[in-house]
Amino acid sequence: MNAMEIKDLCKSYSGFTLDHLHLTLPSGCIMGLVGENGAGKSTTMKLILDMIKRDSGTITVLGKDNRDNFRLTKEDIGVVLDVVGIPSCLNARQVGKIMKYTFHNWDDAAYFAYLRKLSIPENKKFQDFSRGMKMKLGIAVALSHRAKLLLLDEATSGLDPVVRDEILDIFSEFTREESHAVLISSHIVSDLEKICDYIAFLHKGKLLLCEEKDRLREQYTIVHCTTEALCKIPSSAIKGIKKNAYGVEAIVQKEKVPAGIRTSPASIEELFIFMAKGEDAK
Amino acid sequence: MRGLLIKDLYLICKYGRAFILIVAVFIVVSFMGDGNMFFISYPCIISGLLPMTLIAYDERDKWDMYAGGLPYTKTQLVCGKYVIGLSMSVLVLAAIAIAEAFRMHNAQVFAVSSYLNLLLLLFSISLLVPSLMLPFVFKFGAEKGRVIYYVIIALTCVGSTAFVRTGTNITIFVSNAGIYSVLAASIFLYVMSWLLSVCFYKKREI
Repeated sequence: MNAMEIKDLCKSYSGFTLDHLHLTLPSGCIMGLVGENGAGKSTTMKLILDMIKRDSGTITVLGKDNRDNFRLTKEDIGVVLDVVGIPSCLNARQVGKIMKYTFHNWDDAAYFAYLRKLSIPENKKFQDFSRGMKMKLGIAVALSHRAKLLLLDEATSGLDPVVRDEILDIFSEFTREESHAVLISSHIVSDLEKICDYIAFLHKGKLLLCEEKDRLREQYTIVHCTTEALCKIPSSAIKGIKKNAYGVEAIVQKEKVPAGIRTSPASIEELFIFMAKGEDAK
Repeated sequence: MRGLLIKDLYLICKYGRAFILIVAVFIVVSFMGDGNMFFISYPCIISGLLPMTLIAYDERDKWDMYAGGLPYTKTQLVCGKYVIGLSMSVLVLAAIAIAEAFRMHNAQVFAVSSYLNLLLLLFSISLLVPSLMLPFVFKFGAEKGRVIYYVIIALTCVGSTAFVRTGTNITIFVSNAGIYSVLAASIFLYVMSWLLSVCFYKKREI
């Protein structure tokens, strides 16, 4: 079963269009949504949560259309947005009390265990938290009501590397259960590379690709050559080019690279940057 | 919806201290005075403003966005504000009712019908402010909705001044003003406002 399916999703604002987005997140998987500022990541999250109206397309979350009694479906969704949204005058204990009467499946013991695990003070006001601490509280709430799907919009930004690693481990742990899934957007591609099973590239409202992370690594490579040598590679196999004083670098499909051309492995971040720039150059 | 109400109660406890103090001062002043309508009605007006204040704090903290990801419908999010506003208005009215009963008794002007009429009038006043303001706030947000607040305050000041200039005694007014019609109109307006706010908020993109 798929935890989430997005088909042909469109949404237009003045100056921005989310253009026929297709995404499928299988259960038990983590999908990373990569994109620059304004690529449409937050718009996609808001559309999934039905916080904004889509122009067309369908969104199915945990097997149900997200316009069909979505309140009940949201019982099974944990959400962390880039701005956490907890009232600044409340402390973690009070937040727990509010959530206890918000989620039917709220697990007080799990919540306080996460507070301890993530070193979140129970009685300190939210406004006195650091950004990282605020994120951690949002994550603790999202994980404490037996959610099946986590929607995380820039949930690791602002966290120091040690805490980020700790949080990423928690997300990986979360998807050990087959019925769980995570959709996470982030600027920090290395984070996504670390934990995601699928990677989706969003650029200026368009989905450049959505693929299994391991297949991306297997499929693509960076070639370092001259412009003339690059001409030997079919243009359909080239996903992005960067020119410099010494020649060209390009992301290409591994199998289409002729012998004799120097290659190096492509990271997800490089792949995204090349593809985004290639798209801009069109 | 219980979680929403608990959250708003926490916010009132934290941010509403000035509100509680103002209400207390006005009630004490009205208790010591001669039934001046301004001192009695002002706490009702500001209690009606509480939901708008709560919405402004929600928007500042981005709670409105966060709540969109919680298992609440937009209807519940709107209803939470109307319920908390109504509850606070009733509480303030109860405090005024006790103070007014003592004042009227001490001044030996206590009459059950005029006392009840006064309370019904005050209740109508407390419904009026949120009825007029909340639909705008739910449609445009607290920042733009504040314009409506200033318009209402200006109208209240003009109305109060005009009322004082007529030299009308409040006791006479409440016994002769067709208070039940005023109450019915206020309740109707409140219900319409509630439905309109739900309609506006459902269409609003957060």
